[in-house]
Amino acid sequence: MTRSANHISRHKPAKYTVFSTYLAGLALVVIVAWAHHESPGDESDDQAATSVSRAGAESVMFKEAGTCARCHVFSVLEWAVSRHLEVATNCQSCHGESKGHVANERNEVKPEYLFEGQAIAGQLCMTCHGTGCPDTNRVDNCQQCHHVHALMNPAKPLPDRGEQLEKLLRRWDRFDAQIARGKEHADQQQWEVAGAAFQAALKLIPGDARARAQLAMCQRRLQTALPGFERLDDAYDKTTGLPRAVKVPAIDMPMRLVPPGEFDMGSDRWADARPVHTVRIDAFFLGAYEVTQAQWLAVMGNNPAGHQGKQFPDSQRMPVEHVSWQDCQAFIRRLNERVPGGGFRLPTEAEWEYACRGPRAAAPGANDIAELAWFGANSRRPGVPEKPDLDLKAYAPRTVGTRRAGNWDLYDMHGNVREWCSSLWRPYLYNPADGREALTHVGLRVLRGGAYCDAAASLDPALRHAERPNRRLRFNGLRLARNVPQLKLPDLRD
Amino acid sequence: MNGHSSRRKFLGQCAGLVAGGLGAGGLVDACHALPVDPAPIRAYRRGGMLYRRLGHTDLFISALSFGSHTNPTYRVATDYGSMLNDEGQARRDRHIAKALDQGVNMVDVYENAGQWQPMARMVKPKREKVLISICRQTDQLVSQHIDAAARHFGHVDLYRIYLGDGPRVDDSILEQWDAIRRAKKTGKVRAIGVAVHLESMMLSALDELEGLDYVMFPYNFIHARADYSQFLPRAIEKGVGLIAIKPLAAGSIAKLDPRARPGSQPEDSRILLYKKANRPVLPAVVKKLTENLDRMPNESLCQAAMRFVYSRPFIATAMPGMFQEHELDENYAAILRHLELSRNENDALNAARRFSGAWGSTWLPRHYRWLDHCWRTS
Repeated sequence: MTRSANHISRHKPAKYTVFSTYLAGLALVVIVAWAHHESPGDESDDQAATSVSRAGAESVMFKEAGTCARCHVFSVLEWAVSRHLEVATNCQSCHGESKGHVANERNEVKPEYLFEGQAIAGQLCMTCHGTGCPDTNRVDNCQQCHHVHALMNPAKPLPDRGEQLEKLLRRWDRFDAQIARGKEHADQQQWEVAGAAFQAALKLIPGDARARAQLAMCQRRLQTALPGFERLDDAYDKTTGLPRAVKVPAIDMPMRLVPPGEFDMGSDRWADARPVHTVRIDAFFLGAYEVTQAQWLAVMGNNPAGHQGKQFPDSQRMPVEHVSWQDCQAFIRRLNERVPGGGFRLPTEAEWEYACRGPRAAAPGANDIAELAWFGANSRRPGVPEKPDLDLKAYAPRTVGTRRAGNWDLYDMHGNVREWCSSLWRPYLYNPADGREALTHVGLRVLRGGAYCDAAASLDPALRHAERPNRRLRFNGLRLARNVPQLKLPDLRD
Repeated sequence: MNGHSSRRKFLGQCAGLVAGGLGAGGLVDACHALPVDPAPIRAYRRGGMLYRRLGHTDLFISALSFGSHTNPTYRVATDYGSMLNDEGQARRDRHIAKALDQGVNMVDVYENAGQWQPMARMVKPKREKVLISICRQTDQLVSQHIDAAARHFGHVDLYRIYLGDGPRVDDSILEQWDAIRRAKKTGKVRAIGVAVHLESMMLSALDELEGLDYVMFPYNFIHARADYSQFLPRAIEKGVGLIAIKPLAAGSIAKLDPRARPGSQPEDSRILLYKKANRPVLPAVVKKLTENLDRMPNESLCQAAMRFVYSRPFIATAMPGMFQEHELDENYAAILRHLELSRNENDALNAARRFSGAWGSTWLPRHYRWLDHCWRTS
C-alpha cells in the first residue's frame, strides 16, 4: 500500500491530491459497510447494508480482485463501490492478464494495458458505455468527471449515506470497546472473562479475524493440554496462546512453536529464489533438532545413516542421513500411527524458510554462520589433518544441538544435514494451492539448509535445492513439523 | 529556415510517405503477419570462427576450443602435480593468445597445479570473453575445488567431473554431482557436465544426473563408428550440450596422415604409415589416401578429420590437444572451409579408418589403447 501510494504521489500529484480526501472517505465507507453487511442483528442496520451492498461485499471484492488487492488497495476499493463489480468487470478485463506484473513484485514489469487520458474513454469505457454520458452526451472524456475505477463523481456527495454511516460507526465503536476490554483481561491472565469479551466482539462483527484469533488464544490458555505433546515450560505465545516449547514423549523429540506471521520469501541473490514475495504462514510446531539416528531407529527399526559405528561413538545423537524423501514419508506414516493426535509431516519450504529466517527475516552474516552451523569450514572429522585436497569422507555431521540456537530456539537450521521439505520444486511464486504440496505428484522435492560439507554460501536460508524423491545421499536428512491441533470455535452466524 | 524544409521535417515526411506506401500495399499487415521464430539462436559466425550454443545453456562456444593437455617435452614434475618449464609455458601462452585472437573462446585448464595461475593471469583483462573449463582431477571436495578455481578466475564457466569406467553412475558420483549443482546455484559455475568414455556410462549420466548441461566424450571419424546410437539421440533430445574430445584420437590420426608435418605426434614419435614393418600394407593405403587428398587442395587428413567433427551440428565444440602452432593454424583453417565433407573426402577418411582397424589399438599411444578396445567393442 505504501509503495502504491508513493507511486501515485510521484506520478500524478495534482490529480491525487484532490482525490485523496474522497478516497479516504470511500475506504471508510467500504470497510464499515462490509462490517454492517455481515451483521445480522439490527434491522435498520440491515437496511443500510442492503443500500450499500454494492460497496459492502468485501469477500467478493477481494476474491475477485485476487492478487491485485495486495498492492492496489485503493483502486480495488474504488472499483468495488462501482457497478463494475456487479457486472463482473474485473482488473483483468481492462489491464489484461498481466502475469509478468503479478509475478514481479518490484514493479519492474508493468501491466499489459495502462491507458491514459482520452484513451481510457476510447479503449475502455466506450466498449460498454457506447452511448456516452447521460449528463453531457460526451463520449471522449469520461475521466474528467468519473474516476476510472469508481465511476463516481467525486464532486458529488454519496447520496443518503450519512445516517447509515453513523450507525455503522457506532457498531464499530462497540466492537473496538469489546476488543480493548478483552485485551485488558488477557493481560491479567483472566482468560474466561477475556474470552467472553472477544466473543461479544465477534457477535458484533462475525468473522473478524482479529477477534477470532484473540478468542482462540483465550481458549488455548484455558485448555493447555495438546494431544501427543508434553509442555516443557510455562512460556506461551502471546498471539496464539500455544506453548512455545513442547516435547513428543513417544520419541523424545523436543519441538518449538513457530508463531503465525508473514515474511518475504525468496531472495534476489539466487535465480530460482526470485521474485521476493510475501507469504503468510500459520502457526506450526517444528522439531528443535534434526531427526536423530536414535529416533529413526526407534520408529523404523533400522539405521540407514552413513556415519555410524565405532568411529562415531555419539552417532545416536547425530542426525540421520542417507534417507530419501520417500523414506521420510514412510517414517512419518509410522510416527502418525504411533503417536496420539498424529499430525506429523515435513515442513513446507515456505515454513522452513520462515522458521530459519525468524521474525526479522534476515539472512545470517558470516560470523553468525560460524556460530550457528556445522559446515565445510568447521566439520572436518576429528583427527583428520588439514589439507587442501580432503575428500568427502574427511567430513562428517555432528551431534545435533551443539551449535548456537537460531530463531525460535531452533538448532542446526543451517548446516549439519540438509533437510527435506514436503514441497515439489516449482518456480516461485510460492502457492501451496497449485499442487506443489501434493504428496502424490511426481517431481523433484525441495531440500533446504545446507550440509556439513557445503560452503558458507550454500547455507543461505533462501537457497533452494532439489533432489529426486527416491535418492539417498549422505548429507540429506530431515526435521519434522507438526500441525497445531485445531480448536472448534463457535460459529456465531447461526 | 525561411520556408526551407528542415532536415527533421524532411525525414518525418519521408517516413510518413514510406509508411503510407507500405500500408497501402498491405505490406505492413503482411509484415505483422509473419510468424516470429521462437527458437533460440543455435549458432553464428563471427570473424571466420563458428560459435555454437552449448545445449540449453546461454553459452556460445567456438567450434574449436583449446584443450588442457600440456606438452610432455616441457613438463616438470613437482610435489603438487606437473608444471611446464619456462620455455614450455611461454610456448603455451603464445599458442593460447593466438587461439584467442583467432576467435577461440574456451580454454580447458584442468591441470590446476600448473595451469590455473598462468591462465588466470592471461585471461584477466578479457575474462568476460573467455570461457574457462575446469575438471575435477583430484579427490578434493568438489565444493572446495570449485572455490579454489573461483578464487583464480572469479567464476568457472564450465565445470565437469570425470565419471570413470564403471558401468553406471554410483553414489559417490551422485554426491559429487550434488555439490556441483549447488555450486551452479550459487553462481560459482555457469554450466555443469561430465567427461565420460563409455556409452553405458553416458546413458546412465543422462538418466541420473539432474541438471546435466553437457557431456564431454571422445568423438572422431574413427570412433564415431562406435555405437553411440543410443546416447546421441537421447542427448540431443534432452538438449544436453556435447563437447568432442580426442577429435584426432589423441594425436594418432596425424600418424595416418601422409601430409602431417614433422612434430605433429608429440605423444608417440612413431609414424606407423612409414615404418618398415608396415610396408606390406602401406603402398596401397598411401596411394589411396594420397589420391583422395590430392583432390582437396591444401587439405590434410587431420583437417578433414576436424571437419568431420565440425560438420556435426550437435557437437558444440571440438577440443583437440594442440602443442604446435601449425596444429592450431590447421584446425582453425578447417573451420573456414565448407564444413560438409565431399564424397572424396569421406573416401579418404574411410581408407584411414580401415587402416587403423587393421592395426587394432596399436596405432594409439600406449596409455590410450584401452580406449580403442572400449570404442570398438561397445
